[in-house]
Amino acid sequence: MKALKIVFTSILIALSVAACSTDQTENKPSGGNAPNTDNPPPKEVELKIGLPGGYDITSKKIIDGFHAKYPNIKLEIEEAPWADFTTKIITRIAGNNPPDIWFQENAVILGYGARGVAENLEPYIKRDLKTEDYADALFSARTADGKVYGIPHGINAGALAYNKTIFQENKIPFPTDDWTYQDMIETAKKLTKDTNGDGKPDIYGFQTGNNITLGWLPWMKATGGSALDASLTKAAFTDPKSIEGLTYWADTINKLKISPSRELAKTGKFFENGKAAMVFLQYSSQVPINKNNPDMDWDTVKMPVGFNGNRFVPMVVNEWMIYSKAKPEAKEAAWTFLNYYLSDEAQTFLSESGASLPVKKTALEAVEKMTFKPGNKKAYTEGIKEAGGTLDENPTWNEWRAAANPILDDIMDGKRSPEEGAKEIQQKVQAILDENR
Amino acid sequence: MRKQGYWGFIFTFPFLLQLVVFFIFPFLFSLYLTFTKWDLFNPPQWVGLKNWIQFLSRETFWLSLRNILYFSILFVPLQTAFALILAYLLNRQIAGKSLFRMVYFLPVITPWVAGGMIWLWIYHNDYGILNWLLERLRLSPVDWVRSGHWWIVIGSIAVVNIWKGAGYSMVLILAGMQNISNEMVEAARMDGASGWTLFAKITLPIVSPMVYMVMILSTISAFHAFDVFLVMLGDITAVADRNLVPNILIYRDAFMNFKMGGASAMAWGLFFIILATTLMQKKLEKRWVHYE
Repeated sequence: MKALKIVFTSILIALSVAACSTDQTENKPSGGNAPNTDNPPPKEVELKIGLPGGYDITSKKIIDGFHAKYPNIKLEIEEAPWADFTTKIITRIAGNNPPDIWFQENAVILGYGARGVAENLEPYIKRDLKTEDYADALFSARTADGKVYGIPHGINAGALAYNKTIFQENKIPFPTDDWTYQDMIETAKKLTKDTNGDGKPDIYGFQTGNNITLGWLPWMKATGGSALDASLTKAAFTDPKSIEGLTYWADTINKLKISPSRELAKTGKFFENGKAAMVFLQYSSQVPINKNNPDMDWDTVKMPVGFNGNRFVPMVVNEWMIYSKAKPEAKEAAWTFLNYYLSDEAQTFLSESGASLPVKKTALEAVEKMTFKPGNKKAYTEGIKEAGGTLDENPTWNEWRAAANPILDDIMDGKRSPEEGAKEIQQKVQAILDENR
Repeated sequence: MRKQGYWGFIFTFPFLLQLVVFFIFPFLFSLYLTFTKWDLFNPPQWVGLKNWIQFLSRETFWLSLRNILYFSILFVPLQTAFALILAYLLNRQIAGKSLFRMVYFLPVITPWVAGGMIWLWIYHNDYGILNWLLERLRLSPVDWVRSGHWWIVIGSIAVVNIWKGAGYSMVLILAGMQNISNEMVEAARMDGASGWTLFAKITLPIVSPMVYMVMILSTISAFHAFDVFLVMLGDITAVADRNLVPNILIYRDAFMNFKMGGASAMAWGLFFIILATTLMQKKLEKRWVHYE
């Protein structure tokens, strides 16, 4: 019996030593922002990652790089076109069968957070990240009570893009970073030309956007207005400053006629085809422009300084989120992935893809040295640092935006006055905010 | 006998199972949901009649109902009349009959996205052929699907739906017309009937059950219309209240705002309206549909 005990104990010790040595040699991640887990177990974990937009939006190098560093995490990649993914994910959440981690727009993630679908990442961030290494956009998905429901997939900021050839042909100096909205409007007036004499402009000085990101919200912010107040619980459309911004915005089409109408804008890409001299352009749009019009001579400057003297740089941030009902080991694996995603290596891959700007400061600085157009990438990188702001996002963002959009379209089309439209938007948006409080 | 019944149940079991899982359960579950608040993630919370009261007092629901009624009033009779005329013409001995039948059926199999794109160009304010024609006639252009007048927008969309659906209705009515025996037509001719009289007194009464069926199906599809509005109005999040239809509201509430309770209540409201309309049509059936 005693001999048996000795043999059994020896085997146990031998197995324990073997197990410990395996931990140390096989599972310690090399470099980067490794997860802060002491002696992580060697066991294999399955991780389902959802990629809306597939590898067009998320660099495959990032997925491959993660897989190479963490071979014990078996990846199941679910990629689908953006619209298909975002439609399907709704019913997959209802069926408790979504991926463990995926990304969507910041506002959607905030909505998921409010419903309990998204895991609060604040404890993970506190545990593992040096937040000073990242731009403020790292906390785009932070709520008033300090919870953080997402980690930025990338920042997609806006800047003023201009067609150098059109400016040169008209002997007008290029825009500069200290331009104001008024400078932009005055120059756009000079650049709008009817070249064939049919009474309609053939080249527009500016193309006004109709969406929240590059359309009405930057104009409202330029006059000191906003869609919601700072608490994001009160609509601010009827604030005189907001109405003033909406008026400037709609006037570019209906009064000054320096921009194609909404209907006309649907017939083609005006800036890309050299039919508009200037446009507010999101960073990601450089990918199709450089691909389809590599010879086009264009560049960017920061978003103009507002009528009120302040600059506003609109930022769209897609956020990675972890499913709150995922298994604990899958959640930890998902956080390991996010940790890798925020590492220098992955953030560089993100920069190279051009799909969006990285959130890590070192990678953001490296973007400025990249050689593809626009040459002046500081318009984006420094613009974010100086005046980057999200789009008044809260958990009901999609709902109130859907209520406001048709009326804003009417204002842009000249079917309603900004005052009348703003009044109706105010009522509708406030009702939604109150209902969901 | 008992053994036969047993086997019958076994053979029908797969069908019954899918009926229960995919029809009866969702049907009853959605009724239950009308009394709850459910965000598709957390368990439903009982709220009593709140959703019903809310949707009945919601202005956008009544606007959407006005629009869909107007849409149905345009779509159902016009599509049926158009299908009837087409079927009558294509039932005659004309050259290239098969080709014409195919041409008129083509829109049915054309995907909505492609068909919608063509119509959006036809309706385009600056480059559309319709406004080009109006310009030639020295008339002002019309902002067809982007108009500030709801009745122009809904009317324009109804025309697109007629284009898409007439081919299918034509086939149904054509099948009815082909059942008319030559003897009956000959007898009518011998009695002096021709042209309009032959159509009104012989053809129409005989195909009236088919026409009735086409009208019932068209009415239901009109109230259900979703794809045509989705394609023609573009971004579903930016549809003006004046142009809304119930299914867009239901979809928005259910899958964009995660208010499944309110969306289910509206869906049931729409169900009762369709049921009432269909029963009304059924009541009128005896006045003009001939089954002998």
